Amino acid sequence: MSAPLLQLDRATIRFGGLTAVNAVDLTVGPGELVGLIGPNGAGKTTVFNLITGVYPTTAGTVSFAGENLAGLRVDQIVARGIARTFQNIRLFGRLSVFDNVRVACNLHRETSAAHALLRLGAFADDEAGIHHQADELLDLFNLARFRDAPSQSLPYGEQRRLEIVRALATRPKLLLLDEPAAGMNPAEKVELIQLIQKTQKQFNLSILLVEHSMKVVMGVCQRIAVLDYGLKIAEGSPAAVQADPKVIEAYLGEDHQKSLTHH
Amino acid sequence: MIPKPYLALLGGLLGAVAIGLFSDRIDPYFLDVLIGVGINVILAVSLNLVNGYTGQFSLGHAGFMAVGAYLSATVTLFVGPKLLGAGGGSPFEQGLLFLAALVFGGLCAAGAGLLVGIPSLRLKGDYLAIVTLGFGEIIRVIFQNVSVLGGALGLNGLPPYTTIAWVLAFAAITIFVVVCLVHSTYGRGFLATHDDEIAAEAVGLNTTRYKIVAFVVGAFFAGIAGGLYGHFKQTIAPAGFDFNKSIEIVVMVILGGMGNTPGVILAAILLTLLPEVLRPVADYRMIIYSLILIILMILRPQGLFNFSYRRRKA
Repeated sequence: MSAPLLQLDRATIRFGGLTAVNAVDLTVGPGELVGLIGPNGAGKTTVFNLITGVYPTTAGTVSFAGENLAGLRVDQIVARGIARTFQNIRLFGRLSVFDNVRVACNLHRETSAAHALLRLGAFADDEAGIHHQADELLDLFNLARFRDAPSQSLPYGEQRRLEIVRALATRPKLLLLDEPAAGMNPAEKVELIQLIQKTQKQFNLSILLVEHSMKVVMGVCQRIAVLDYGLKIAEGSPAAVQADPKVIEAYLGEDHQKSLTHH
Repeated sequence: MIPKPYLALLGGLLGAVAIGLFSDRIDPYFLDVLIGVGINVILAVSLNLVNGYTGQFSLGHAGFMAVGAYLSATVTLFVGPKLLGAGGGSPFEQGLLFLAALVFGGLCAAGAGLLVGIPSLRLKGDYLAIVTLGFGEIIRVIFQNVSVLGGALGLNGLPPYTTIAWVLAFAAITIFVVVCLVHSTYGRGFLATHDDEIAAEAVGLNTTRYKIVAFVVGAFFAGIAGGLYGHFKQTIAPAGFDFNKSIEIVVMVILGGMGNTPGVILAAILLTLLPEVLRPVADYRMIIYSLILIILMILRPQGLFNFSYRRRKA
């Protein structure tokens, strides 16, 4: 197996007496699509916050492409190629859809603030390039018709999609999706599955997906890790994880097991 | 080809010089009001970068103005005579001295902005407002107690270097800098920081740096405005840069519509003219001024000249 892109090595974080994430080992390889599931409060989003540098690890390490991420700021980690979406959508609500994407192109700006101020020659080319990239992304994800609307005015599903597009504009190698299917109806979930698969192929991404919808998780993930009370209790293929008695007891429940045998 | 913003700046500067050339024919009272308008435009537009675009609620703008006013005055009062000699120098030499004094005052204010900004910009909203308010008061008290700078009486006898041309030229430069900065991929980071700081970091923006840049650039132009103000009134005292002055500028920004430069310019003009227009009603002037403010805020909470909301619905 090739070297993992993302590697959590006994990553731990304690908030006072609470160990929210407890010695979790987790890897995501290049081009891999890994699911992270578990009951509410199991520490899934906290794992995301550890990876993206929102919280520092209390113990253990998080490394990306062989580099230990400890001590890096959130924006520095994004610059290394990790982008994320949020469980509760966080768009720049007052900015237009277009500007939400353009602002995420900042990492790949070739000109500085001084260029913006002095409007030097290269500035116009750079702006035109970013303009073009943003339009391309919006086209690709069918958001072009909302281009100039304030992002907060978009329908819910489109807001979720825009958040993914915005994350892609930072040109990540690894994309962290935090409950992208939350609040979606079954038809929208099917669409989302296709979107995730298409995005992964097209951008050659690794994806780590936190999700409660088993339909989505089982539909797209190659490997699944299960968290409960901050501990990793299982890891394996979708089929193996669904059959694991510990996972059934902690999260999936007996009903899920029955529904499987009936199919 | 010359970029469009440069043409606008060039137009602004030429306009300033042209008005300056004809200033003899303008009524002196009207000219004074116009200079006051210009200085307030500089103050409001620069504060708008901090409070409007970047969403950091600063109440310390008068403090930065004081730094600029006092430090530019030290240049023209204490360094100037040595450089220009007893004759006072030619108008061109005086102009150069004044420019140097203004820039020095602006840079000192920017330095003060950096000094206050780095520790305090981790705070948000009300907390930041209180820290910047405290800073403004500290600055005032410091100037009040430095006897070389005149103590509570302030400094007198500043040379009357400020002309309408200087004021309008710097107003044009302030607007140019703020507009060019914000209307760029880099500058959209200010708006993103305002809208959602966590999301801004998650798309790779260094939000702390954005906030500091806004604060420092805002403070620089507040310092310039202070220098222009000092050499216009020819006398400066700590009391002139108190909390009320900061509030006055904040009101212009809010009334103009946070993060809306044309609106803020109009509000600065309007709110400078209003007390002048109300002079005939003498005693009731400030009451009517306050009432108008309240009514405007109730009728147009999104800012007097901010029409983006309505446009969005259409």
